[in-house]
Amino acid sequence: MAYATLLTTVGIIAAIYALLAIGMNMHWGDTGLLNFAHAGFFAVGAYASTIVTTPTTSGLLAERTVGFAFPVVVGLVVAAVLAAVVGVVIALTSVRLQGDYLAMVTLSAAEIIRLIVKNESWLTSGAQGINNIPRPAAGAFPLQVGGFTVGYDLFYLGLMLAIVGASYLVFTRLSSSPFGRVLHAIREDEDVPRALGKRTATFKLKSFGLGAGLAGLAGALWSHYFFAINPTMFLPALTFSIWAAVIIGGAGSYAGAIVGTAFIVGIRQVTRFLPSDIPFGNELPFIRLILIGVALIVVLYFRPQGLLGDRERMAAGQDMGGS
Amino acid sequence: MATFDPQFIWFGLVSGSLIALGALGLTLIFGILDFINIAYGEYMALGAFIAFGLNVEYGLPLVVAALVGVLAMGPIAIALDKVVFQHFRKRSATVLLVVSIGLSFILRNVIRVVWGSGSKRFDVPIEQAPTYFGIQILADQVLIILLSLVVLGGTFLLLQRTDVGIAMRAASDDSELARIRGVDTNRLVLYVWLVGGVIAGLAGVMLGLDGQLRPNMGFLALIPIFAAVILGGIGDPIGAVVGGYAIGLTQELSVIFIPTEYKAIIGLVLLVIGLLTRPDGLFGEATR
Repeated sequence: MAYATLLTTVGIIAAIYALLAIGMNMHWGDTGLLNFAHAGFFAVGAYASTIVTTPTTSGLLAERTVGFAFPVVVGLVVAAVLAAVVGVVIALTSVRLQGDYLAMVTLSAAEIIRLIVKNESWLTSGAQGINNIPRPAAGAFPLQVGGFTVGYDLFYLGLMLAIVGASYLVFTRLSSSPFGRVLHAIREDEDVPRALGKRTATFKLKSFGLGAGLAGLAGALWSHYFFAINPTMFLPALTFSIWAAVIIGGAGSYAGAIVGTAFIVGIRQVTRFLPSDIPFGNELPFIRLILIGVALIVVLYFRPQGLLGDRERMAAGQDMGGS
Repeated sequence: MATFDPQFIWFGLVSGSLIALGALGLTLIFGILDFINIAYGEYMALGAFIAFGLNVEYGLPLVVAALVGVLAMGPIAIALDKVVFQHFRKRSATVLLVVSIGLSFILRNVIRVVWGSGSKRFDVPIEQAPTYFGIQILADQVLIILLSLVVLGGTFLLLQRTDVGIAMRAASDDSELARIRGVDTNRLVLYVWLVGGVIAGLAGVMLGLDGQLRPNMGFLALIPIFAAVILGGIGDPIGAVVGGYAIGLTQELSVIFIPTEYKAIIGLVLLVIGLLTRPDGLFGEATR
């Protein structure tokens, strides 16, 4: 039974990461944008939804002076919209320039977001974090359905799978729509769609906003499941893991993004069950990240299209000719 | 927030020296290899931690330990190129950037496995800084500024006066043209990693001397370094150094207007202003 609960929790984490990977795949896989601020968008979503749904009176030593008691649904919407806006604002600075400028801006911006979350305790409770975040429909569970008891975790897993499924459908549709085809053209060679009269900067901004918004939604779903959030949940290692998931799964393929996520969450969670008295037991979290880093580089070398990516359509694997 | 104090200018010169060094190394590597090496921050941290290991764990004098740590980063940078980057030479700059981010995570966590994740200090006595002209000045800080100037000067002599340096500048401008004119670009790659690695090691050791050593010290130092590189025009060594000092000074003087915790924001703000107004850098002739 304990294992079942644990597996359900791992499943929920994997589903939330899958949302992040789907958003990242829109950026990198579809559009070729280098986004290193995904953990930042995740944090914006988590904090936005938390602040909107958690009054200042809840929590142990809350230093916050801003907090509302709106329903969770409002929080989710605010989270997605705010993260999308933040994403677009960040992208606005460098979307017209070469890709590596965006990489530098996003890498810096993610650190700044973390700095703000850590320091503005009137808004975010700072390093102490926020507790007692409401769970959606928490009162209805455990639910008796024909002799079975459906616990809250199982309900949330179902909810998450539904959201991942819906996002998958929406994003694959977007990717194969005329909009998505312009994104692919931008990824391959931005001059071509521009020559055809497309405003490529606008398309890139939309792509960036969509992916960042989904990351914000993922952040909100994270905070509402885990009751509590604090700044250490949004470290650059998260962004890096999602990158690895997208590349290992196959950039450009949404199914690949989900498979890659399962792989990464597998490495991250399964190694938690190893006994801690093995050699380097204490260093396991670091060794895990080293392994993910090695996997990322090895896959990029041997199988640039990833597990499920389409080689012909994947710019990441090919010589772009002088960048 | 604080009132103006000439002390801030001194701090600005110290941070400016560190940023300028890091930016110079990063921009040199970019000039020849055409990609942003995100792992550069970890090269800095690794140099500092090697020096720390020799200094504190093996009891070598700091000067010797620092020298070994700094010089070791040259061959290490070349080795990492042979093991990792070399195999991606034909790929696009964006793929190389993603690879470098993978490498940066590997190195940062190797440092954590070997030396632990806590903060460390070199074995130097903690002393009260003597005051000159109303400014508290530590010997370490004087050393940082002087050594940076020596290395910056040395690098420019290398670039201006030696065959290797002239070849580097030629390849940075147009690598095809340089190759046609008989420049051995493969050998040049070795030199640029050697020089870039040593500069990274030096920047890292001095960063550790100025404060503490942490596994993510190099990564955090990247924000102002990026800003300096872009402000100076990516691939332009002189621009990177000028940008580095400009950002160091602005960052330290910014505490007059904003809370100290947000000093790091200045780097991003200047980065963005630079991108929006002069994407080619202060001196206008960037390589991309």
